[in-house]
Amino acid sequence: MLIAVLAPFAAAGFAPLLVRLLGDRAGLVLAIVPAATFVWLLSRLPEATPGVLEATPWVPGLDVALDFSLDGLSLIFALLISGIGTLIVLYAGGYLKGHPMLGRFFLFLMMFMGAMQGVVLSDNVITLFVFWELTSLASYLLVGFESDRPAARRAALQALLITGSGGLALLAGLVMLAEAGGSWRISDLTGAGAWIQDDPLYRPILILVVLGCFTKSAQWPFHSWLPGAMQAPTPVSAYLHSATMVKAGVYLLARLDPALGGSPEWLWILTGIGGLTMLMGVVFALLETDLKLVLAWTTVSALGTLVFLLGPTHEPGVKAAMAFLLVHALYKGALFMAAGNVDHEAGTRDLTRLGGLMRTMPVTFAAAAVACVSMAGLPFGLGWVAKELIGAAKIALEDEFGITVIAATLTNLMLFCVAAIVATVPFTGRTSEAAAHAHEAPWPMLAGPVMLAALGLVFGMAPNLIAEPLIAAATTAVIGRKATLEIVLFKAFDWKFLLTLATFVAGAALFLLWRRSAAGWRASLNPVLDRGPDRGYDQVMRGLAALAAWQTRIWQPGLLHRYMAASFAVVTLAGAASLTRGEMRLNLDFDGGRLIEWAVFAVTAASALVAALATTRLLAVTALGMLGLGVAMIFMLFGAPDLAITQFMVETLVVVILALVLIRLPGFRLSAGGARPRWLYAGISAGTGALVTLLLLGVLAEPFDPRLSEWFGRAAVPEAFGHNIVNVILVDFRALDTLGEIIVVFAAALAALAAIGIGARTRA
Amino acid sequence: MESALNWHAAIPELALACLGMAALMLGVFMRRGATLAVTMFTLASLLLVAMLVLAADAPVVAFDGLFVLDAFAVFTKVLVLLSAALALVLALDWNEKEGIDRFEYPVLVLLATVGMMAMVSANDLMSLYLGLELSSLSLYVLAAIHRDDLRATEAGLKYFVLGAVASGMLLYGSSLVYGFSGSTRFAGIAAAIEAGPASLGLITGLCFVAAGLAFKVSAVPFHMWTPDVYEGAPTPVTAFFSIAPKLAAVGLFLRVMTGPFGEAAGQWTQIIVLIAIASMLLGAFAAIGQSNIKRLMAYSSIGHIGYALIGLAAGTEEGIRGVLVYMAIYIVMNAGTFGCIVAMRREGRASERIEDLAGLGATAPGLAFALTVFMFSMAGIPPLAGFFGKFYVFMAAVQAGLWPLAVIGVLASVVSAFYYLRIVKVMYFDPAQPAFDPRPATVGVVVAGTTLFTALFALAPAPLVAAAGTAARALVGG
Repeated sequence: MLIAVLAPFAAAGFAPLLVRLLGDRAGLVLAIVPAATFVWLLSRLPEATPGVLEATPWVPGLDVALDFSLDGLSLIFALLISGIGTLIVLYAGGYLKGHPMLGRFFLFLMMFMGAMQGVVLSDNVITLFVFWELTSLASYLLVGFESDRPAARRAALQALLITGSGGLALLAGLVMLAEAGGSWRISDLTGAGAWIQDDPLYRPILILVVLGCFTKSAQWPFHSWLPGAMQAPTPVSAYLHSATMVKAGVYLLARLDPALGGSPEWLWILTGIGGLTMLMGVVFALLETDLKLVLAWTTVSALGTLVFLLGPTHEPGVKAAMAFLLVHALYKGALFMAAGNVDHEAGTRDLTRLGGLMRTMPVTFAAAAVACVSMAGLPFGLGWVAKELIGAAKIALEDEFGITVIAATLTNLMLFCVAAIVATVPFTGRTSEAAAHAHEAPWPMLAGPVMLAALGLVFGMAPNLIAEPLIAAATTAVIGRKATLEIVLFKAFDWKFLLTLATFVAGAALFLLWRRSAAGWRASLNPVLDRGPDRGYDQVMRGLAALAAWQTRIWQPGLLHRYMAASFAVVTLAGAASLTRGEMRLNLDFDGGRLIEWAVFAVTAASALVAALATTRLLAVTALGMLGLGVAMIFMLFGAPDLAITQFMVETLVVVILALVLIRLPGFRLSAGGARPRWLYAGISAGTGALVTLLLLGVLAEPFDPRLSEWFGRAAVPEAFGHNIVNVILVDFRALDTLGEIIVVFAAALAALAAIGIGARTRA
Repeated sequence: MESALNWHAAIPELALACLGMAALMLGVFMRRGATLAVTMFTLASLLLVAMLVLAADAPVVAFDGLFVLDAFAVFTKVLVLLSAALALVLALDWNEKEGIDRFEYPVLVLLATVGMMAMVSANDLMSLYLGLELSSLSLYVLAAIHRDDLRATEAGLKYFVLGAVASGMLLYGSSLVYGFSGSTRFAGIAAAIEAGPASLGLITGLCFVAAGLAFKVSAVPFHMWTPDVYEGAPTPVTAFFSIAPKLAAVGLFLRVMTGPFGEAAGQWTQIIVLIAIASMLLGAFAAIGQSNIKRLMAYSSIGHIGYALIGLAAGTEEGIRGVLVYMAIYIVMNAGTFGCIVAMRREGRASERIEDLAGLGATAPGLAFALTVFMFSMAGIPPLAGFFGKFYVFMAAVQAGLWPLAVIGVLASVVSAFYYLRIVKVMYFDPAQPAFDPRPATVGVVVAGTTLFTALFALAPAPLVAAAGTAARALVGG
């Protein structure tokens, strides 16, 4: 299985080279890879029903391995990916014939194919996530492939941002899921469902996982990227945005159904959002004029249907979902390729400008018509079978969810109408101007739609070819017990059958109505519908930019004093907060103080005040110097003359140097902020001062550790023969330190000398 | 062990310091071509010292417990030396073109590196401060090395003033810690905390120390210097700032928090969680509006520090390993990105605006590809290296029960993906600007090497993770 995943990546690496060597025929060679995978998968059909596992170690330390598993569910997806993939590679060779960047296109496409196989075959949540994001990335590159169009660029970014963000939510959800379930392996997690649903984190896990799946599978309100993604070349739309990638979310929901499904939350979210998406998609499809967008909206609707069917977590629903998955992939793949043919040959895909293509493009028309039979759910198409199964699933639910039955019937009805539109409008009627010069597409572009449409027809007439090996096997994998399926094409002539007939009639009536007044609907509804999530996406983007600008104004004005104020404010608050966590002893014995202490205090405090209020630089510097001298006086009063002398020297030097610099600077300007910042700054300073004072009182309350001073007192005379302890320390006990200090002072003096010398020289 | 001198543990630092002085002499006495010779000499010295570090016997406690050489120090030092070397190579051509090719430049980088090595080996508040100041003083000068450039001097001044404030806070915090615990040795502080309920003064001291360290790693709310300095300083200096000192400061942060204050984890976990969240969010949101790529990288680095701190907040061995893996990957990505920025020169002048990158996909496909890889990697998109960095820290947070932190981290990554991807969009999708000047081979080599690492890390993540695991065990595994 590792080979099945890695082979497309390897092929991707060689794709540009192949295109250089073989030109447009490279597609024929590249198609061998998915075709071989397809055949190999078919050969594994019997083994897949119980499920097989393979593991290769990968990320160390966290037990994340390249685990792959193949069971019925993976198989149905993997077959779609490789089978449709083969046809798409062939098709793309024709569609992009002579395109200068064909090599790059195949590179991205094969990369996507490998990633998508990885998603459906992974048995490890992290491996799955890695491949999942790779598919988003490949989609981004492919949507933006025709990068000279601004719409394509916007669509590419939108698709990546929405699916990529959802992907990250998914990562969070999967990691938490793995924690709750105690394993990275999906096959272990699906066995731990009851356990996971009792976990307190069940709801967050569910929401995050569902977010990931819904963004990927274009559920409301995250669907806006999918119609946008139609900017991609048609093979990409057919492959990624209808048959495979957008189904990844459905795949994961089905995969995790045993682990997460069955709860009321699961039921309501999936049924509600899925149903809404289902209905919304098909309504929007009726309002479009671009053939590809019509198809895109029905894809949205189909994805909604799939999610909707997975909501109740019961066997008929899962069976119907698996059948519909297959049906949709077949008919939508065929229709997209047919639409691509129309676009390619007639030069437009605007429904209002197309008509009469039946005569010039008969094969494309036949393929599209057969596919539409399936889409409309008419008998003999595979769609009929799917509709029967969906009907069965709905009836099993009927007592609780009457409204969903109505929604599903309405969807069916409108889907019938859309199928009629797609099958007839471009192909029948008067030959339009655009269609007049059209020719039939070359064979690689016909193979895909014809084959898919034919398969739909064959399976539609003999559904039991796929019922047991594919649909029942996939259902077994999802529900965890053996499922069987026997399809009878015509059950009985009962009220259900009559309801189906009524749907067809109503659909046909709607189609006639659409022909007459679609333009009017569009004119009146589009302005309202434009306010949807797509607009929301734009607003979020604008909002982010505004937020960024706002924070820059607040935090990053480029003013040094603002930065300092913020730093001090935060530290003071943090320090104060830590003080509130308990009690601190404070030393509050105060002996009244000597007069000289008061005097020194007064000088220091006054100079601090002057420094803060000064309006000229010179005054501020002088006041700061006074402050320093005051501190030095305190050192002297409390028996540290060496410290005091150092302080005197430093302060004097600082004042002299600063004064020298200040002479060359322009006048002192107060901060531009006016009075408010000044009061704010005063508050911050007062707070910091209060905190430091408190801490000082706290330190004084701690018992003094006299070991060092006692030791020096004892050792000074016997060991160093000196009575002045400070002297003894400096020249005996710490002689090396002192030597080092002298060297530093000397070096600094040398440097100062050099600096002064340079100044003198340059001036001279 | 405490009383032993064991000076051989510091041989790499001593050797590098001596080589630095030799480099200075070489620069003074050579007349022509001094800069190139000194740079080459410095590069050789860094390489030699890296080998010395790898050859050293760890763990050793030296200088009466002031200094420690353990697996953690070895890991971090090798990365610091590597980043210094990368930054030097990036500067080679740029400085010449900007007319700031002084031989003092490599010497200052080298001295800063000595300081950073001392930082990560610090085992005492005094040696911590020594290493920090040695590196900071060199960095202040580097920031302002383009003396005639107004922006560069402003950047240097801001960095100096705010850096001095931060150092002051750190020192003040250290004195409080000493005052309340009676020791500056990390082991002594840990013993004092273990002995009884930690006194409030000690915790407040810890607050101040943490604030000082947060400034050095440019975590919110002490990040404000970062955008201004990153933008103003010459690009190779910014490149250096964004990797080596950041790594050393993170290393120091890890050691201080898990070593002396490990027993007080209950007191600081909250602070780190807050800092991490604020940094991630600010890094994500503020970068959106930037039009200057160096400023954008400043916010990006703030965000990355937030992610890395998640691992520290977890406080477990897995968490520390996550931080180390994250930082190692971050350094490579960042060096590569700055390599691309250094290559952004048009008609002999540096371009720094994001829009200058427009159409790079057509004019310089190789460079555009490299930058794309870095941007995707920084956004954390698998299977590029950046994803694994995020993955390891998020995992550690979840395992430590800090899952809200991991979720916020993920959300912040979503927002930050927006601006990283915007750069990719500009390069490939916007109408092309004139081509950049041909880029020098030195820059090409750095960019190519880092691109390969970032793109292919997923193939063999084991060696780096194993080394980080050993380093983390040395720190918290006991």
